[in-house]
Amino acid sequence: MNRNARPAFLFAVALLAAFAALAAQPACARQDVQRDAFAAYIAGDYDAAIGGLRRLAGAPDTDARVIRTLVAALAETGRYEEAEAAARSGMERPALAADLAVALGDVLLERGRRDEAETEYRRALAPGAHDAHTARLRLAQIRWERGDREAALDEFDRFIDIYNDSESLSPRDLMAVADAVRRLGVRDPQLFHDAVKALDEAIKGDRGIVDGAPAAAEARLRLGELFLEKYNSTEAQSLFREVLATNPRHPVALLGMARAKNFDGSDEALTLVGQSLEVNPHLVAARVFSAQLMLDLERFADARAQIDRALEVNPASLDALSTAAAEAWLRGDERGFEALRDRILGHSPGYAALYEQVAEMAVRQRRYAGAVDLAAEAVRIDSSAWSAYGVLGLNQLRTGRVEDARRNLDISFAGDPFNVWIKNTLDLLDTFGQYRTLRTPRFELVLHESEADLIGPRLAELAEEAYDSLARRYGVEPPTPVRVEVFPRAADFSVRTVGLAGFGALGVSFGSVLAINSPAALDRGQFNWGSTFWHELAHAVTLAASRHRVPRWLTEGLSVLEERRARPGWGDDLTPEFVAAYENGDLLPVSSLNNGFVRPKFPMQIPLSYYQASLVAEMIEETRGFDAIRRMLAGYRDGQSEAEVFRAVLGEAPEALDRTFDTWLKRRIGARIEAVNVQQQAGEPLSAPLTVVLEAGEPPAGDFFRQMGKAKALLAEGKNEEARPYLERARTLFPEYVGPENAYLRLAEVHEAAGRLREAADQLAELTRRSDRNYDANLELARLLEQLGDTRGAAAALERATFISPYEPALFERLAQLHTRNSDWAAVVRDRRALLATKPADLADAHYQLALAWFNAGDAAAARSAVLRSLEIAPNFERAQELLLRIRSREPEPGAEGSR
Amino acid sequence: MSRLRVPLSPALALAAGLALASPYRAAPQDARTHLIIVAGIGGEPRYVQAFYEMGARLAEVAVSRWGIRPGDVTLLAEQPAMDAERIDGRSTKEAIDAAIRSVSGRAGPADQVFLTLIGHGSYQGSEGRFSLPGPDLTGAELSVMLLQLGGRRVIVANTSSASGDFVKPLAAPNRIVITATKSGMERNEARFGRWFIEAFAGESADADKDGAVSLLEAFDFARTEVARAYEQEKKLLTEHAVLDDNGDGQGSADPGADKVDGRLAGATFLGKGAALAGGPPPGASPELRALYAQKQEIEKQIAALRAARDTMDTGRYEQQLEKLLVDLALKNQEIRRLEGGR
Repeated sequence: MNRNARPAFLFAVALLAAFAALAAQPACARQDVQRDAFAAYIAGDYDAAIGGLRRLAGAPDTDARVIRTLVAALAETGRYEEAEAAARSGMERPALAADLAVALGDVLLERGRRDEAETEYRRALAPGAHDAHTARLRLAQIRWERGDREAALDEFDRFIDIYNDSESLSPRDLMAVADAVRRLGVRDPQLFHDAVKALDEAIKGDRGIVDGAPAAAEARLRLGELFLEKYNSTEAQSLFREVLATNPRHPVALLGMARAKNFDGSDEALTLVGQSLEVNPHLVAARVFSAQLMLDLERFADARAQIDRALEVNPASLDALSTAAAEAWLRGDERGFEALRDRILGHSPGYAALYEQVAEMAVRQRRYAGAVDLAAEAVRIDSSAWSAYGVLGLNQLRTGRVEDARRNLDISFAGDPFNVWIKNTLDLLDTFGQYRTLRTPRFELVLHESEADLIGPRLAELAEEAYDSLARRYGVEPPTPVRVEVFPRAADFSVRTVGLAGFGALGVSFGSVLAINSPAALDRGQFNWGSTFWHELAHAVTLAASRHRVPRWLTEGLSVLEERRARPGWGDDLTPEFVAAYENGDLLPVSSLNNGFVRPKFPMQIPLSYYQASLVAEMIEETRGFDAIRRMLAGYRDGQSEAEVFRAVLGEAPEALDRTFDTWLKRRIGARIEAVNVQQQAGEPLSAPLTVVLEAGEPPAGDFFRQMGKAKALLAEGKNEEARPYLERARTLFPEYVGPENAYLRLAEVHEAAGRLREAADQLAELTRRSDRNYDANLELARLLEQLGDTRGAAAALERATFISPYEPALFERLAQLHTRNSDWAAVVRDRRALLATKPADLADAHYQLALAWFNAGDAAAARSAVLRSLEIAPNFERAQELLLRIRSREPEPGAEGSR
Repeated sequence: MSRLRVPLSPALALAAGLALASPYRAAPQDARTHLIIVAGIGGEPRYVQAFYEMGARLAEVAVSRWGIRPGDVTLLAEQPAMDAERIDGRSTKEAIDAAIRSVSGRAGPADQVFLTLIGHGSYQGSEGRFSLPGPDLTGAELSVMLLQLGGRRVIVANTSSASGDFVKPLAAPNRIVITATKSGMERNEARFGRWFIEAFAGESADADKDGAVSLLEAFDFARTEVARAYEQEKKLLTEHAVLDDNGDGQGSADPGADKVDGRLAGATFLGKGAALAGGPPPGASPELRALYAQKQEIEKQIAALRAARDTMDTGRYEQQLEKLLVDLALKNQEIRRLEGGR
């Protein structure tokens, strides 16, 4: 028995019943029903449309438009079997067979029945058939899919003649032309413009409700997809929006919008794809996209469920199979991946999108080396897979293969000049000539020429220290050399990281390739480049320990934790905002903490998630020992799922760990919850008491902000000593608070005004122990410590300042003088070199001071070279002349003369 | 299209280097500098105070460091009562005119006059103005006042916002005009003045380490520090200082001793700066004069060598440079010994 016979039979019975009622109505009533049904379909009232169209479809004189629209309505709602039955029933009338063949073929293709679809498309080639051009296009597409690329391209090429030789083409014909030239774009990217033109004409030529299934909506969807394919999300969204304005339930438009939102990084994608699947639960593309979103969130089981549902509908879907292959690859299921790969390539030899898709997913899971291998395989099986060349090049760049990357990016851009990521990246690579590479035993530090001497020496020291420290703790050495690129422009860092300007991160780790902003990229006080570097190197270590399989939340949490361990004040600390988020239920459970990084629901969720993740890591270390962290990383390395790792190492299921963490956190921050007093702040910013005039009277003793507010009011009246107890109480209530108007700064001012310099310095010391980005506090601390005779402490404070903003000549001058007093000549040389790099006005003196430092450090050759530079600028510079003569006569240096 | 570069032979370069020698001479060492400082109207107490303090600082430095006679310094400010001892009068247009007239009456023909305007500027209609108590001062009006000084060397530094419009009307031979902005359209509060004054107060502006700060060095220092300040604050530079000293009325943003503007400014100093940067002191012995002549000859050779640097092998350049620098250092030692055993 034919597998379609039963639905077709049932459908015929239904039609007969429906028509029996309709037949009794006059012709004008039937026209009304048809108009209403078409209108219902266009508006997305699918049930009404299907009801009306069914009543019409059984009539012996029903035209193909009615049945095509019925088939479309059924297919759009995922009722494929009924759609097939409707098409077949209509085709029983010989006059309609050719006209409905494409509609049937499309339904069959949606189910993966390629051979049967092909038969129908051939039937549609009959002379005078309604959709012959579409049928020809579909046949060429099937050829392409089967790997007969050249023949398919020849077929596509014929559509150019079809367009040029025809005086008028129907909207559907124009869509076929557009699809064909879009495919031809692989040979000539400019043809994409012709595809846009044909689709524009299709939209303009649409007759709307007269034709039932309107071509304009479909053309708009195709155009939207084309724009999205060419990286123009704005135009794409505008087109999808136009379709949704008429039919808010159009599942393909909803899916298109979801893709476009995902392209923009918006978390609306999940909601939109959900809406699409509500209308059509069998929409394979939506299931596949949903699976990809799940994979982004590292929810492998959920992804697998979506893929299974897609494959139930269409077991041959290359997209679904490729996503399944990606899922297998990400889980480390090599056999599974290979089986799927063979199945896909058996269906479609040369299907490079398989490898490209897996490579893209690998990138999102930070598996850059794997992505390189996969993308290389993509371009091996299809030398015209331009986007795959792009994926290859970008990931070669991420793994430090700059020249290979440039070559492949050039190929990609030549084939697809619309790709703004590739263009931006190539533009950035063109600037690499302005960068200098410094080498240490385990690092290649790539710094802009203007900053190489400012940041390079300190970064070199820090990098080696960090490597030793982290490798020792984790028992893993990331592959060397570790390449660190430091960008003085935020836009360049952003392009290096994501291909576009506007990426808000401070640094990124691709494994053994790190990229960070230099402090020049952001306003002073926005970040500490030292802690940022340490954070990124910690990623390199945890990625290496897990073979790049550590979940995002854990690697971020560990990196923040390692920052805190590296230096006092580094890494995020508790903030009132975090406490408020906890109180308001805005923190995510540990089991879904990845969402806070990948799809944050509000901007603050990202920093909150960083800190929260670090607390989870801290809790694990505190309660199970650091070895538990190492074993977790090993578990991920060995391909265990998160739930498996949690159970094996922590002895808890994810949901149980959520509860454990909540209890731990409440204990950890309980006192601060009371101090912040979130409930009383309802409707006001947390720090409102700092900015408004307070009511008279004594503030609640346990209310941090009100204690601070009272102190501020007293300080404004010059009542320093009266303010002091409030400041001290506030400091005790929330010692982690180092934001604006913090108690440490104000107490330091109060103490200094009263001549208590030591106490003032103590406050600033505590502040700088808690905050890694307060430049002015470090400078002030250094000043006070110098007054107190503590030159080493002063130098240490200024050292900290160089990690916040290393650009002021005066900073290095002070440092060099302090190091001179401590006879630390290596440090003096380093700081004199940095001072020179700030391009001070007095260059002759800067060179002279450097020469003197070299001389004192025992390097006469370097001293000679530096003093010549000084005298070259100022030939009569007396002190430099004396130094030159002394160097030549090799007189011993009588003593430190660094300070003027 | 790239332009063909013809390599310069060392000999030619040497000649070219010599040709770059400044045609301007420093003022005679016994010539005096007359300093007129005008602190304009502040509008707000903090500006009144700030302008006065800047003016007072320049006056103090001029006397204490550069040896200008206190009687040769005139300080005008908005509120003379702020410091009746140091402020010579209210900074009105009439007072400025009177101060210039006074200087013209007592200055010798070789003396130089340095007029500094500190305060707010504006651009109204098609004319830049310096804001004063009472009527403001335009470039054209100041130009007429300066006629009283005849052919003496005059330096005008207008450090106010929108001051660029003063360059054209004030330009004249033997005159250095410095403005904080390149046009009247740059109207944001200018920071140039603070650094310009600091150039004469501190050590850092003396780029060639001859012990004196030329007008060109002060300009370069201020320009550099202004740019640095804006960069550190991540703000767009809204003031572009210019200097004109060739009298063409076109200010240069990047003047230099070998450029269109900058030669006169490079040879002009405040007070005793000319003596520090110049040749032998008056009444020097023939032996000392000979040493100075030899020193100047070495300086010329160094200048020529530097000009030829790009055409030479680095090693050879360094070798020759070091030899000349050692010769110069030794010559300076001899001079110092003769001058007083330093």
